[in-house]
Amino acid sequence: MKKIILIAFVLVALPVFAQTDAQLVLEQSTLTYHMSHPMHEVNGVSHEAKGKGVCHAGQCDFLIAAPVKSFDSGDSNRDLHMVEATRGAQFPMVLVRTRFAEAVTTAPIIYVDLEVQFAGQTAHYNHVPFQRISQGNKVQISGTVPATCSDFKIDRPSFLTVPIKNDIPVRVEMTWRSM
Amino acid sequence: MNIRAGRTTWMRVISLCCSLISVPLSCIAQTQSTAAILPGTPAMATAPSSESVDLPSAPEPNDQMAQTGGAGQSTQTDQQQPSQPNQQEQTKPGNAPSLGDLGFTPQQTQADAQMQAMLNKRTHMLKVHQTLGLITAIPMAATLITGPQAKAKGKNGQPITEPTAANLDLHIALGGLTTGMYFTTAYYSIFAPKIPGVKPKGAIRLHRDLEWIHGPGMILTPLLGIMAYKQENAGEKVHGIASYHGTAAYVTAAAYGASIVTVSWPIHWKFWGKQ
Repeated sequence: MKKIILIAFVLVALPVFAQTDAQLVLEQSTLTYHMSHPMHEVNGVSHEAKGKGVCHAGQCDFLIAAPVKSFDSGDSNRDLHMVEATRGAQFPMVLVRTRFAEAVTTAPIIYVDLEVQFAGQTAHYNHVPFQRISQGNKVQISGTVPATCSDFKIDRPSFLTVPIKNDIPVRVEMTWRSM
Repeated sequence: MNIRAGRTTWMRVISLCCSLISVPLSCIAQTQSTAAILPGTPAMATAPSSESVDLPSAPEPNDQMAQTGGAGQSTQTDQQQPSQPNQQEQTKPGNAPSLGDLGFTPQQTQADAQMQAMLNKRTHMLKVHQTLGLITAIPMAATLITGPQAKAKGKNGQPITEPTAANLDLHIALGGLTTGMYFTTAYYSIFAPKIPGVKPKGAIRLHRDLEWIHGPGMILTPLLGIMAYKQENAGEKVHGIASYHGTAAYVTAAAYGASIVTVSWPIHWKFWGKQ
């Protein structure tokens, strides 16, 4: 009898402990890198990012990833050069990880520490502000990751012997939905 | 005694049933509470809210801090080997999602060292193509400039002024140099590795289309030049198709110049702008 009660307790208790997990999924996204050269201003856009967030025990872990070759600047030649310069065939994904307290997710501006893996390198960006807009059952997040070529040891492509600017800020616009 | 044993058995069965029924019930409760704790989920925000606030500027990256791994942005070199099938799977907290959770296909996430090598070779060859192409423009311009000095002057019925041998030789030499450099430049474009599945898009399309003008032009112009040279050497005024040598040269040069401009179009001059 005692065994049965114990088993019953365990069966009831297990899902109760699991209740604290919450998941969010990236529904829509636009990632735009900006490249600057004295003769050119270029924006490369990707809509192929995927992401997932898991909140557990007051902490939220998010992972967002996008294929490097999914960025489209409107010029196939430039895009291929970008993939080559960023070692995009060898390291085909851009990965962004972040972790923050669940309590801050209701603020209109969320400051997050980002870990970005790109071109075989990892860079950390601390205290990056992201605007949060809640619309119905969705949450829109937007902000800019202040990435640079040197953070990822990317040899800056040049045109007419003039290299591009070191800064390649990435504008992030995402729509998250709870699962 | 039998009645007592029977009661115990029934009690066990009822207890087990209650326990099993309670499991799915608590699972349903779990999904409801999951939604409840999410910010901006239906449970918390039934009506759209506009909590839009102007963002403060993002922190500037600090190269020095990056190198030293300071409190700001830090960079670590964790170069992975190309043989690793899934890149960037590093240590992460227990419940953190992994790349495998996101639903990318293995083709998307798998490293391709062969493709990287192909891209490297392609970039190298196209850089040579670009450099040689720009250099080729110099003898091409010089050939155009020396063209009129290498031409016999005089109308029909009037005495014809032959070009000096020096002018003629200079023009021929520059033309030969231009032709040689042009086809060397073309070689680096034609034999650069082609990436499968990539359709030309943007400025590169017009750059390639113009090849159909300056390519044949660079074959035709020297041939017409040779014909014109032979006619002049024979004491004849240049005639027939050879008389189009100059026209062919100008059209070819114009297409070539346009080809250089289009590959870098649109141009935004910002040499004087804020860096």
